[in-house]
Amino acid sequence: MAMLETPRERPGYRLLSAATALPIAYVGTLLLLLCAYMFRPALLSPMLLMLIIRQAAPLGVAVIGQSLCIRILSIDLSFGGVAMGVSYILTSGYVPGNQAVLIGGSLLFGAAVGLANAFFIVRLRASSVIVTLAMGLLLTGIVIAFSQFRAPGDAPALLKYIGQTRIWNVPLAPLVWFALLIPIGWYLKRSVLGQYIDAIGANPRAAHATGIPYASVVVLVHVASSLFAVVSAFLLVGFVGMGSLDIGRDLALNSLAAVILGGVTFGSGRGGILGPAVAAFMLTFLFNLLTSFGLGEPSKLMLQGAIIAMAAIAYSARTRN
Amino acid sequence: MIGGSASRSSRSGIGIITVALPLSMFVLLSFAAPSFFTGQNIGNISNQIAALLITSLGQLIVAISGGVDLSVGSTLSLTSAIIVSFDPSIVIPLALFAGCCIGVVNGVGVAVFGVHPLVMTLATATFVQGLTFLVLPTPGGVVPPAIERLAESPISGLPGSLLWCAAAILFFWLLLSRSSFGLRLYAIGANPRNAALNGVKVVAPIITCYVLCSLSAVAAGVFLTARVSTGDPTVGASFGLDSVTVIALGGVQLSGGIGSVPGVILGAITLGLATNGMNLLGVSPFLRMAATGLLLLGAISLQRRKTIGV
Amino acid sequence: MTDVLNRTMLASGTAAGGEAVSFRNITKSFGANTALDDVSVTGRTGSVHAVTGENGAGKSTLMNLLAGVLKPTSGEILLFGDKVHFSGPKAAKQAGISTVFQELTLLPNLTVAENMCLGREPRRLGFVDGAAMRRSARDVFARLDIDLDPGSYCGDLTIAQQQMVEIAKGVATDARIFIFDEPTAALNGPEIEKLERLIVSLKAAGSLVFYISHRLDEIFRFCDTITVLKDGRHVATQPAADVTRDGLVSLMVGRSLDRFFPPRSATPAGQASAIDVEDLVAAADAPPVTLTLRRGEILGLTGLEGQGQREIIRAIAGQMTPLGGVVTRHSKSGEAIRLPSTPVAAARAGIGFVPEDRKSEGLFLPLGIDRNIGIGMMRLSSLWDRARVDRDRLAALLAGMNVKASSPQQEVQALSGGNQQKVLIGRWLAAGVDILLVEEPTRGVDVGAKSEIYALLRTFVDEGGAVLMTSSELSEHIGLCDRILVVRGGQIVDEMPGAMATEEAIMTSALTGSAQDRQGMQS
Repeated sequence: MAMLETPRERPGYRLLSAATALPIAYVGTLLLLLCAYMFRPALLSPMLLMLIIRQAAPLGVAVIGQSLCIRILSIDLSFGGVAMGVSYILTSGYVPGNQAVLIGGSLLFGAAVGLANAFFIVRLRASSVIVTLAMGLLLTGIVIAFSQFRAPGDAPALLKYIGQTRIWNVPLAPLVWFALLIPIGWYLKRSVLGQYIDAIGANPRAAHATGIPYASVVVLVHVASSLFAVVSAFLLVGFVGMGSLDIGRDLALNSLAAVILGGVTFGSGRGGILGPAVAAFMLTFLFNLLTSFGLGEPSKLMLQGAIIAMAAIAYSARTRN
Repeated sequence: MIGGSASRSSRSGIGIITVALPLSMFVLLSFAAPSFFTGQNIGNISNQIAALLITSLGQLIVAISGGVDLSVGSTLSLTSAIIVSFDPSIVIPLALFAGCCIGVVNGVGVAVFGVHPLVMTLATATFVQGLTFLVLPTPGGVVPPAIERLAESPISGLPGSLLWCAAAILFFWLLLSRSSFGLRLYAIGANPRNAALNGVKVVAPIITCYVLCSLSAVAAGVFLTARVSTGDPTVGASFGLDSVTVIALGGVQLSGGIGSVPGVILGAITLGLATNGMNLLGVSPFLRMAATGLLLLGAISLQRRKTIGV
Repeated sequence: MTDVLNRTMLASGTAAGGEAVSFRNITKSFGANTALDDVSVTGRTGSVHAVTGENGAGKSTLMNLLAGVLKPTSGEILLFGDKVHFSGPKAAKQAGISTVFQELTLLPNLTVAENMCLGREPRRLGFVDGAAMRRSARDVFARLDIDLDPGSYCGDLTIAQQQMVEIAKGVATDARIFIFDEPTAALNGPEIEKLERLIVSLKAAGSLVFYISHRLDEIFRFCDTITVLKDGRHVATQPAADVTRDGLVSLMVGRSLDRFFPPRSATPAGQASAIDVEDLVAAADAPPVTLTLRRGEILGLTGLEGQGQREIIRAIAGQMTPLGGVVTRHSKSGEAIRLPSTPVAAARAGIGFVPEDRKSEGLFLPLGIDRNIGIGMMRLSSLWDRARVDRDRLAALLAGMNVKASSPQQEVQALSGGNQQKVLIGRWLAAGVDILLVEEPTRGVDVGAKSEIYALLRTFVDEGGAVLMTSSELSEHIGLCDRILVVRGGQIVDEMPGAMATEEAIMTSALTGSAQDRQGMQS
């Protein structure tokens, strides 16, 4: 094979492009840890770090689903509605059956929401942002309307166990996160599905013309995304130990922020599974740091918005060059 | 394709459903809800619709340019918070300035940096909502009397909401149907590349759209706050998706280039009547939220796009 | 000095032939591709200046520089003696340059009148004056003898009508320099006559008209000066009177076809079919088409642009759903299956499709060469399978195709057009398909890579494959194909063996007959 000397191949350029191609989350996490080291060293104690990782687990699980969606140029903003629905199914006491039935029912519910999202997006070609936002609105409205009549009850024992138990001082929830993250990351690297997802993300028209089963992949990804939201809600319900209407309210936006920070961008076909996971930790750590500085909800929201906007602008500017 | 299509098209986007929906809603309500025609209820409806219509008209021009603005709800809330939190003499200029800033940030992100409009405006929506909580953490505060008077009509018997609507409708209609800005906007929305080849500048008009959209949300915020006489940091929460629902019901194509002021008026009446009707029929406000979601899904399903995705 | 002189001449309205536009040492590169290489051309007032050459010669690129759509990589453009740098199309317009673009630039949601005035709308009291717009549109139409309602939406017009509106729009402006980029692609006889009258009147008024075309008839009918470009280089600029048709063709082609194209197989293709197409209706109003693609042959679908070749090949490839007809695919073992028309079914059945617009429909630009090709190797896998990419085979393939890249992982967007095209064809070779449907096999590909791609396709059919291709370059059909089918009005009107085909013979079939024939098909 002949060598072709272009500016892109010079070592200096390569080093520079490798550095700028690194997900913002890696650099951001380092900076945050440094900042904590200087001003709030207590946050870096193993105990607290472990707690923060535990706290990051539900977001981390949801982020897996969101990153899949973004990688195929779609998006899923219905996480909040799904989490609320799951919380209702698990804790309202209206749904009969033992905890296995409840958990199975929640998963079925998630799959149904994913299918519905995919139906509107693939069949009717509606904008995925609007579809999933509307779906979230629909689910939230229904769940709140129904749960007005009765205070939420206890979470199933199994979920409480997962949410609150530690084994040799290691909380169980992050293990669930890693147990999902690692095999899925490995699978996407190795499987035909993973290749197709990247191809669709890089050029959906070419993917369709090349004979990639485009619709099936979109359906699969959206069902998977909703299922991750369900598992994320399992962890959240397990932490709290009982139902709550606040569960998962920030899940959609935070997962979007994490995915963008993690280096997955619309239309580049790039982005692994690790970057978004680190970003999920980074965001959780950031919120803890802000709380330790005495900053409240408003500043968190502002920061969240600013992060999404700046990361999106940074990546757009980068891909344009 | 050999040959062209036979059907005559237009860019208003108004179809049979756009017109039939509010009409049938009207007929249905007048039978199902006896209190529908009471003077008080009509006043309620016009107040509810006015803020929604003003916001949706701003959303309309962003949609014609090929974008969407989900930050209008937060902008509306911020306006409400500003009005009760600062010196009465500066609240209006301050709110307008805030609106301009939000619009410029959205517009520059979309038109200059090429960020997807939904991602960009979702980000600003979150930021502005945080800012709003910073200004006014909980509902309350007193609206200055001078501002309250803004929502009243100088002519007795004529509701103030009608004047606000009329002013907004006139402004946006002139802008879209009579100005060269409007004509060029339709061109940009249909195909930015071809518009540029025809000598139309693309970036500045798109930024202008987002600024006008944010300013219309500010106007809606001033009206709404003056009406309810108190500040509320979440008063606009539903307006982002509601305004998108309104324009989708009004036949506006979210992919750009198609849409009109009359269509948006019809869309606002449809959603306003639907909300009011459920209210009269005693439907829980949360189920109304669900119904809006359903209506939005239905409305966008009627628009077939060429591409799948965001 | 000359500048002042020219302006004076212009002002006095004489068509004395002063320098209006001068391209000096223009080079334009797109990434690794050089579209124009040190081109210098001068256009004079009161002249109709043909710019011609094969597809990919750089005609449109040169004109896009003048129209402000592109900026030169190096070199300068002089307008009446002054150096100009256009920031965009608008700046060029304001400088008095009006362009009728090759692709239609009308906005479907604007009326004819609005489209014609876009960017310089007449105003009254600050508002757009709709009546004045319609009036000025009507005036221009009257001048050009066009019968169209200025109030109808452009989305409702036929392609031919749109093209006339484009021309009218270009003329409606107050320009001194006009660019017509392939304006007749969809026009019929009487309409072309209208265009001729228009061009003659523009010339008489002292304007400079650049006329981009590769239709020899029109060039000799309309133009007084001819510039020939080839592969991005300037070949010649001569008065039309000094050039013969044959001379012009050899200037355009300028190389021996025998050396350029691989020899056809010594043994003629057998009778075994690879694909049988029966009564295929590719588009609304198109007649049914029946054809057979045999093993061991390269079959070309040719004709004038937009006669339905694209629709036929796309319907066979499953890229668009035909309205009727049967496509049967015969495997090497003789088994026949009826093809459902989806891209997935085609790929599974061993049919590879190479679209004309490789960047938007073929390649995954941000992904590496290996992954672009690897996708093809997965055509028979299910979603859950492990993605197997045979590294050795990939390396052998890349070496065999002489792909110039730093590594197999290099992003495809960094490759030149020719290497990108090889990667796209390589995807299907790696996939082990035995039928290739290729649109424009060498569009935007440099000369060296062209002959390599031809050789690649020839080897493919020699090994038992079959290729069906379309191309807008007649020489490509004549040099490469074993058999040529001529399409007119969506119908196959002629068939000829590639070895005996000539440009004249193909053009005669493609045009046969009268203007009514073509008109009937367009309306």
